Amino acid sequence: MPSVFSEWLDRQSRHLFIMPAVIMILVFSIFPLIASAILALSRVRLRAGGYKVTFVGFANFKKQIFGSEQFHFLGTFGSISLLAWAFTIAVGALLIWWLLRYLRGPVWWLGLIGRLIAAAVLFGIAFMFAATLLSGTQIGTLGVTLFYVFVGCTVQFAIGLGLAVVCAQPIRGRTFFRVVFFLPLMITPIGIGYAFRMLADTTKGPFAPLWQMVGLGDYAWVTSPWAARFFIIVADSWQWIPFIFVVLLAALENVPRDMVEAGHVDGASHSQIFREITWPQIAPVAATVILIRVIEAFKLVDLPNIMTAGGPGIATESMTLHAFFAWRAPDLGQSAAISYLLLFVTVVLCVSFFNLVILKHRSAQG
Amino acid sequence: MQSTPLPKNTVLGRFFEPPGIGKMSPGGKVIVYGVLFSWSAFVLFPLYWVVVTSLKLPIDVNAGPVYLPWVDFTPNLHAWRELLVTGLGKTMKPYFNSIVIALLSTSLCALIGSMAAYALVRIEYKPKFGTILLFVLAMVAMAVAVGVAGVDWRLAAAVAGAIFVLLARTLGRRFKRSVANGDILFWMISQRILPPVVTIIPVYMMFQNLRMLDTHAALILSYTVVNLPIVIWLMYDFFAAVPIELEESAQLDGASRLTIFFEIVLPLARAGLAATTLLVLILAWNEYVLALFLSTSKAQTMPILVAAMNAGEKGVLWWTMCVVIIIMIIPVILMALVLQRFIAKGVLTGAVKG
Amino acid sequence: MKIVTKSVLTALFGAVALTGATAVAQAQKMYEGIEINLLTRPGPVIAGRLEERGKEFEAMTGAKINVASVPFADLFQKLLTDWATGTNSIDVGVFASGWAVELADGDLLADLSDFVANDPDLDLDDIAPYFREFNQKINGKTLLITIDGDFQMLYYRTDVLDELGLKPPKTWDEYLEVAAAAHGKDMNGDGVKDFGSCMFKKRNAQSFYAIMSIAAPFVQTQGTSQGIFFNIETMKPMVNNEAWAAALAFFKESGKYGPPEELNHDIGDTRALVTSGRCALMLDWGDIGPLSIDETTSKIKDLVGASILPGSTKVLDWESGKLVPCDAKRCPHAIDGVNHAPFAAFGGWSGAINAKADPKVIEAAYKFLSYMSQAAQSNYDVTQGWTGYNPYRISQFETIEPWVEAGFSRESAENYLGAIGDSLNSPNMASDMRIPGTQRYQGIILDRELARFLAGEVTAEQALENIEAGWEEITEEFGRDGQLSMYKSSLGITN
Repeated sequence: MPSVFSEWLDRQSRHLFIMPAVIMILVFSIFPLIASAILALSRVRLRAGGYKVTFVGFANFKKQIFGSEQFHFLGTFGSISLLAWAFTIAVGALLIWWLLRYLRGPVWWLGLIGRLIAAAVLFGIAFMFAATLLSGTQIGTLGVTLFYVFVGCTVQFAIGLGLAVVCAQPIRGRTFFRVVFFLPLMITPIGIGYAFRMLADTTKGPFAPLWQMVGLGDYAWVTSPWAARFFIIVADSWQWIPFIFVVLLAALENVPRDMVEAGHVDGASHSQIFREITWPQIAPVAATVILIRVIEAFKLVDLPNIMTAGGPGIATESMTLHAFFAWRAPDLGQSAAISYLLLFVTVVLCVSFFNLVILKHRSAQG
Repeated sequence: MQSTPLPKNTVLGRFFEPPGIGKMSPGGKVIVYGVLFSWSAFVLFPLYWVVVTSLKLPIDVNAGPVYLPWVDFTPNLHAWRELLVTGLGKTMKPYFNSIVIALLSTSLCALIGSMAAYALVRIEYKPKFGTILLFVLAMVAMAVAVGVAGVDWRLAAAVAGAIFVLLARTLGRRFKRSVANGDILFWMISQRILPPVVTIIPVYMMFQNLRMLDTHAALILSYTVVNLPIVIWLMYDFFAAVPIELEESAQLDGASRLTIFFEIVLPLARAGLAATTLLVLILAWNEYVLALFLSTSKAQTMPILVAAMNAGEKGVLWWTMCVVIIIMIIPVILMALVLQRFIAKGVLTGAVKG
Repeated sequence: MKIVTKSVLTALFGAVALTGATAVAQAQKMYEGIEINLLTRPGPVIAGRLEERGKEFEAMTGAKINVASVPFADLFQKLLTDWATGTNSIDVGVFASGWAVELADGDLLADLSDFVANDPDLDLDDIAPYFREFNQKINGKTLLITIDGDFQMLYYRTDVLDELGLKPPKTWDEYLEVAAAAHGKDMNGDGVKDFGSCMFKKRNAQSFYAIMSIAAPFVQTQGTSQGIFFNIETMKPMVNNEAWAAALAFFKESGKYGPPEELNHDIGDTRALVTSGRCALMLDWGDIGPLSIDETTSKIKDLVGASILPGSTKVLDWESGKLVPCDAKRCPHAIDGVNHAPFAAFGGWSGAINAKADPKVIEAAYKFLSYMSQAAQSNYDVTQGWTGYNPYRISQFETIEPWVEAGFSRESAENYLGAIGDSLNSPNMASDMRIPGTQRYQGIILDRELARFLAGEVTAEQALENIEAGWEEITEEFGRDGQLSMYKSSLGITN
């Protein structure tokens, strides 16, 4: 009897392994996804003891992209400078070249559609930055979010990798350093927001005397948009570098020692060993860690909410914070629309990253 | 560090020359320890400030910075007393909830997630494109029926499920295009993209219908699901690094897939599993928005206590907030110390591989 | 006056009255077995007192009060979700009265009018007129019971002003003069330069309450029912005019005499500066009084004076949108030619009951809220800084003894209560916005444009234009006629 059961179990293992995860994710994700899609196309109001949902088509999206919220979401559009035009045209040309190159090879219609969407989104983002940042007007929450994602993740990956490499060396007090470096991730994100608000306070925070001493007493970082964004990146990095650090460290520990030693014996330099032996081994994990971090960075909300509440003006407001403010108002329709825009941008960028970087790595390896 | 090796006869060259394999040159040591200590300072200073603030009276916090207890201010345990003596009951309940919820959801998540990750590495799945499309359509129809027409959700789910099974059986064979493991993997991670504010009300209503609001089970279940993609993604790469030859030889010996997974593959990937488990544990331990909505009083967790210390129009109670932050880190540090040993032992996997 | 005397007596003999009441009620235990689930913000502020009074109430009536709490910032969403989705796990919410309009708009709140009418213990006439007529009522029905009165006042450092030989400012122009004179002086003896004016200007916090407090005396002259937000004929926003422009200009100007980081200061940061003695002038709710006498937090015990919010000698001409000088006809409520309009920002913490709760629970819950609000309990609670409750009853600022017992010097108690009396008795008290969508009008549009103006992203003209356009968009979305009638009823205009 037990053997019959275990045989059956073995035959079913194909499904047994994956089904719990698939079912759980499916049940949990599909309903909220559909429900929020309905919300994004509606106007929601409290009426007679419950919610009253009125279908309004794409009005919520229109308001964000073309209407009264445009300055908030995309930025303030003024006259576009010459530099901005040059930049837009250059990006456009680059994207067309990329598409043409794909068309020369074997074409699958879904792949083509995907590439067209990716190109359109990238062009739109480039144009948005050109028309705001390069033309001297303000960027909106989309631009701020992309800034957090790209600058933040780059800095965090570079430092996280560096620390992992250093900690993988034969050093004294390994456990101590590893646990210390890991500490920030253990703190609840809300707590980090408040802790950094204390630290960044130049009237009664720990750096206040230093701040006064170097003659910055009357200058407040909170009044400068870029300084405020920079501070948020610092706090975000403090929190998330440990994540990249610990995963890359585990990956580095998995690199076979004998291969590295063989490299040493052959007289290869440190950097050669890293490039030729270590990096290819940890590259898949590195790509995964970047993808996960990018996805989380797109959702950055606690830090700007607690540290600056999106200020000065709207300078540090991320898209998730934008959606959060609308949600709290309570304007559920607008909030869902902003979230869907975020979903769209994130998915397009992540799918591109996944297909063009991760799959390539895997196929090169496998 | 440089691509061109330094000449070995200069002083500088000798400074950067490792005395032997696996050892560091004196120059390398300076750089490595310099990096280690300066980064430790960067990491520890904010924590130090949190600890010091927890020992201050409100007036010490408000009047301007003071740094060293007993030197420039007199430490006071009023905030600690408020949370751990007078308000002990109110602190311990969420603390206990947090521990139960984080541990159970992490275990569940690590188990289900690593099984799925392993399956995606070793087994090829080919769900039909059309079947998936059908499923999504059935779900949309169900959501519309429940949301717009006001049909009972149980009935709608049963009907939608039946229609899907029926159609999938009859039409299923005609679909040609199928999706690959990579697509499944991406679909899973994409579930983390939507910001929680937009999904929270639907999730809330789901648990409300199941009469599970304000229970531990609701939080355990939801944390397991939201963290599953992370486990699957990270473990996918760690399993992929396990050499297939070991499994093949075990298979020849007649071991079942479950045996292979639990007795050969999982132990080999334990460095990755330990790191992943720790991450997920922390994510579950610190989660805020779901905890806020799915619990009211019985199942409230610690992060809510942190946010509670912002007294809105009465200001932030920095001192008690810092105490809560500190007592929240302690169990995680303990877990990290335990799991850290497995991460370090990961070195052994390399030896096995050779 | 008879009522007032009665309240004074109850306040004085509060403890005696309480034990008496307990003895009587114990025989009855009329609500034995009833459980009331109450949700509010985390204690000890606000919630702490509800728990303690809840135990007393249980001993008296047998009804068990379970106080649950969620962080302040998420309280409204949590209540709204619980009630609007029909979960109904919460029977009573204690929250900022301004949020109630949204809930009342969805028919989620129980009508308490009949209870109030038949409840002599509540002593309705003792509740200050603004809170009785405007704060507790929505669309003519009593839906809330006030347990805390919130309106803003001006606070000043008596020692600093004496040293400079200046009088407390009566207008916002004088405010700037005093702030300029005091700015840069050391006010707490630590050798560091301190600030002339402290105002909370952080986005998505409380800054929009400050701007409304400043704008009110420029806009409203004819009494509470005039309002400061909309034209009561057309529902057109009354913001794109010289009055609001003057308020914005003042708000930015005050930053010159404030801490450099003021743009990122919420009320908590500002209070930290105030209580540590670093500000000469500040705008705040009633809390500063009790907070200033708490020696664990304050360096300014008996050094702060309070007064009604500064006013203006120039007021808005509603026809032309221009500022014109005050005269007897234009400013009937002016004092010495200065038009004051103390602004009831935030409204105060009030209790409301879920309309879907069991009738017996509603009754017991009402009795509990009434118990909280009765002078015997409330007149003691408001003198204790840690409770977070501020005065809203006439007897509370006409009886000085409890305040002196709480630690005030007689002089500062008189000054503080005098300022409260001036504000609460003012027939020109300005009402906060209380119409559906208030959180969007104020929390999204007004707050954001104010923040952008302060950060220099837009000019005052652009900000006001954006507010006007944004408000019009919301009004259109909610329906102009409905909004107009709600706005009028919120100002007590019935026709």
